[in-house]
Amino acid sequence: MNLAAEQDSILQIHWDEFTFGAIAFILFALVVYRMWPRLTSALDERANQIEGGIERARKAEAEAEEIRQQYREKLDEAHREYARELEQAKEQRASIIAEAREEAQSEAQRILAAAHAQIEADRQHTFAQLRNEIGTLSTDLAERIVGESLGDSAAQNRVIDRFMDELEQSESASQAEVR
Amino acid sequence: MNQQNDVSAGLHSAASEEGCHIFNTHGCGFQPPGTSLFFPEPYLDFGIPGTAGITKYFVVLTLALLISAGFWYFTTRNAKVVPSRGQSLAEMLVEFIRNQITRNTMGKEGDKYLPLMVTMFVFIFAMNIMGLIPIPGLQLPVTTSLAIPTMLALFVYVLWNGAGIRRNGVGGHLKAHLVPGGVPKPLLILVTPIEALSNFLIRPFTHALRLFAVMFAGHLLLAVFAAAGFYMFNPLTEMGAALGAVSVGYSALALIGFLVFTVFELFIMAVQAYVFVLLSSVYIGQAVEGAH
Repeated sequence: MNLAAEQDSILQIHWDEFTFGAIAFILFALVVYRMWPRLTSALDERANQIEGGIERARKAEAEAEEIRQQYREKLDEAHREYARELEQAKEQRASIIAEAREEAQSEAQRILAAAHAQIEADRQHTFAQLRNEIGTLSTDLAERIVGESLGDSAAQNRVIDRFMDELEQSESASQAEVR
Repeated sequence: MNQQNDVSAGLHSAASEEGCHIFNTHGCGFQPPGTSLFFPEPYLDFGIPGTAGITKYFVVLTLALLISAGFWYFTTRNAKVVPSRGQSLAEMLVEFIRNQITRNTMGKEGDKYLPLMVTMFVFIFAMNIMGLIPIPGLQLPVTTSLAIPTMLALFVYVLWNGAGIRRNGVGGHLKAHLVPGGVPKPLLILVTPIEALSNFLIRPFTHALRLFAVMFAGHLLLAVFAAAGFYMFNPLTEMGAALGAVSVGYSALALIGFLVFTVFELFIMAVQAYVFVLLSSVYIGQAVEGAH
């Protein structure tokens, strides 16, 4: 005991403890080195997944941006199309209106002309009939009044024409007055 | 010398038998714990010079090995992409040592030494905290036996010299460590022996002694607080109830001191493990880097 106490110095190295320490250290190092690949592979795998995730997210973002761009272009296109069609429609409307107006005018003209012609024809007809009738009537009348037959047809016609001319003149004069 | 030892041993045994406390009437005094703490009685002594036999250190070392190996085995056994709590802890440790130690001192090349540094850190820390894990009769940091830090320091010494020689050749390695750059030629006569002494002789000693001494002093301090608290606790003293109360107060102070220093000691244990590994890394880094 006393001998041991004399030997006791805190700076003493016990070689058996040294050896045990070394063995323990080696054993623990074996455990750590044995388990090391598991830890690093897990870490690498995680890094990969995170990297992959970031990559995927970036790709998805780019894709979304592209689609958004496409949609925006389509929308713009649609807007332009709409504006163009509106313009076209306006033009078309104007042209249709103009055409319709023209047609209506010409139709009106035509109807008017037809009416005029009809009226003219009626008038001519009526006039001719009237002249005949008036002729007959006036001859009858004159025959009755005069009591004699105007046998000379030439004289008869002359008298009638003169009578008609007078009648026409008075008629055109009254027409001018109306206009 | 012998007599003194006998007396102190006698007193010690008497104190422990009767329970020597403050304010006693049989005149026994406080026996602060001494270095005998670090020379536990061997369970089995082979009587070989330079050995201690199978002592408490052997048992505590085995425990430290089981704790560190168990920790590492169970935290990394099922290493997955999504980590469990244990795995997170192990990863944190690895990343801490990589970012704070090996990358700082050796750069990317240090990744090769990362498992080794992790091994050393965990092993040293496990040996250190054996002083705080309350297993009755086995509370002793393994690193307070100089053999252990010496073993580790020697290992690192061989490692950095080996790495330096393999990388730069014997000449380059010696030149890098003996001839500092930028020193005028004549001064080298003075500088080179100093460098030789500092790098090749003193460095491994300080490397080992730093760890040993800090753990030794810390454990002794805690032991003193514990022993003092125990010694001062004497509420049933024959000298009266007032002194009994005083003794309880003293003892409470010692307890508070003990608790505070326990926390502090835990911090120191981590720091010492960190420093030891950091220095190892620095030495290897310097050796691998070679001459500037």
